[in-house]
Amino acid sequence: MTLLSQVNQPPPPPPPTGASPLPAIIALGVGTVLVLATTLFVRLSVAGAGERLAKPQAPPKPAAVADNSEEKYCTPAFKEVLQRVLNSCGLGGEGRRGCQPADVKTFASIDDKDFVALFTPLKDRAGVLLFDENAEKLDPSAIQVLEDRWMDRRGARYFFVVARASRSGPPDINRALSHKRANSVFFHLQEQFKEPDLDKRVGLLWLGEEFAQLPKEYCNWQTSRADKPCTEDAINRSAFVSWVDCRL
Amino acid sequence: MRARAISIIVLCAAVLGLVFAIYSTYDYAQHLDRQMHVVHCSFIPGAPAAEEDNACKTALFSPYSAIFRQSFWGGIPISLFAVGAFSFFAAFGTYLLIAGQRARRAAYGFLGAAGFGPLLASIVMFSISAIKLHTFCKLCIGIYVSSIALAVAAVLAILQATQSESERRSPPAALLSVGWVAALGVASFLPAIIYAVSLPDYRPHLTSCGTIPLKVEAHNALLKIPTAHPVQPVTLFEDPLCPTCKAFHQRLVADDVLENLDVTLSLFPLDTACNWMLDRSLHPGACLLSAAILCSGPNARATLEWSYDNQDELRDAGKAGADFLKGKIAARFGPQIAACAVDKKTTVRLNQHLHYASDNHVPISTPQMFLGERRICEEDTDLGLKYTLGQLAPQVLR
Repeated sequence: MTLLSQVNQPPPPPPPTGASPLPAIIALGVGTVLVLATTLFVRLSVAGAGERLAKPQAPPKPAAVADNSEEKYCTPAFKEVLQRVLNSCGLGGEGRRGCQPADVKTFASIDDKDFVALFTPLKDRAGVLLFDENAEKLDPSAIQVLEDRWMDRRGARYFFVVARASRSGPPDINRALSHKRANSVFFHLQEQFKEPDLDKRVGLLWLGEEFAQLPKEYCNWQTSRADKPCTEDAINRSAFVSWVDCRL
Repeated sequence: MRARAISIIVLCAAVLGLVFAIYSTYDYAQHLDRQMHVVHCSFIPGAPAAEEDNACKTALFSPYSAIFRQSFWGGIPISLFAVGAFSFFAAFGTYLLIAGQRARRAAYGFLGAAGFGPLLASIVMFSISAIKLHTFCKLCIGIYVSSIALAVAAVLAILQATQSESERRSPPAALLSVGWVAALGVASFLPAIIYAVSLPDYRPHLTSCGTIPLKVEAHNALLKIPTAHPVQPVTLFEDPLCPTCKAFHQRLVADDVLENLDVTLSLFPLDTACNWMLDRSLHPGACLLSAAILCSGPNARATLEWSYDNQDELRDAGKAGADFLKGKIAARFGPQIAACAVDKKTTVRLNQHLHYASDNHVPISTPQMFLGERRICEEDTDLGLKYTLGQLAPQVLR
């Protein structure tokens, strides 16, 4: 039935042979509109970016800048003392000389206990190098602790060496002894690591027996003689070494 | 029937391709303000822009997304030509649809040839995506699909043309074809020309990030990256696991710039395992990889490029843990390099790299490029790199 109806249908009209311009005109119009529209879109997009470039909508956020570390223990009081150490002990760039007890007493402007307390937060960062009585030579375990501490710099800028002597013996001898101990540390760093700017990074203080003696609790810190008995005299025959993570 | 199908395929493909190309161009033009913007990346035209890094962003910031980069800041995006071409094909499809059986045989002949143009361009871009970028952007895929559809229409058009009777109507077929080619050319190039002439003057912005008189690294810890013809000293701050560093490195290579640079590399891993300047690790494992680069000695560049080439895998390894990443390093470079990477001396040297950054107070950002003392702005290390170098150090482009 379907086939019959198809057979009976008249043949489809042949495609017109005359060239009507209408489709071409419409297409030309569509094309023109599209190209102009997209071109206008491009023009506006670029111009908009140009305007934003000339007049930024929001001021650029200030970028964080790389700097030394600043830990929580860097209180204003702590930084004030450290700054005075830097200024007075030659780290400011005018030749290293270090600080002796009289200097520290003067510039620190705080009493012994408060001075020692400032360094308490450095417990996990510092090491206490212990010396034999009336000696300034670093033993192998002291060297080990010193080098470990030195190499664990992280973001710190300054390395502090605070040398002391116990109260046995005359103060002037002890002052000189603590000076030698500080120098032992410094010279070892100098020889071992050969760093060109050591003077500007290592702050040396020698306190003799006259200022800021360490209490016995410091025996619980990382010392170079953890396996030996530690007394109040022993802990003060020492050089306290630590990087300090404060921006100064 | 076939004529109608051809016209509908051409029209649909052209409209779809046009929409994808417009979004791609729009995203590109947005970045001409030198700010960061979100980028559209969806198969659904008009879907919201994606916030996070995506393949479309990778493609946009790649060296292959635009041409004439040395002459124009950001270059002329390839998608602009697609906008013009698809506009033309949309109009051509309209013609075929309205003309129906009356469409000129020459029109099918023209479509049979020109319809492959977008496909050829798409094949080139697809190959670049596969070989160089290792990722496929959805907007690009939309354009590829549209191009394939146009090519299908072109095949059908060839069949249609061969089966049609020869025609002797005016104007002659050759003249018509020339006209269509000219129209295709105008449509393709006009948006690009308008884009180029509308671009603002970027020259004052190129020096807007100032200069930093970089201090000398006293320990000689920084890396010298060997290149073929070093004519321009540059200092780079890079992180081996940072995707933008990878893209930057690829751009330097693709633009034939790297071999002309005298590169001093300061590693700046954005990983709290060694970098104290961050409150959280952006790229865990970057410290260990940086250490491995330091341990590679004269092969440091090869190790850095290996890190970039395998960045996704190494980033996952870094997240899985230091031992896992160390295993990857050992597998590729041997146990000596892996052991060296965790050695204290290497840690100290890497620390010196980080202190070099902090001593010079450079921004906490990677990658960073210093042409001598001049800091190149971030936006000039991506879209505007070649233009910027052409302006500030033209010798590296010779």
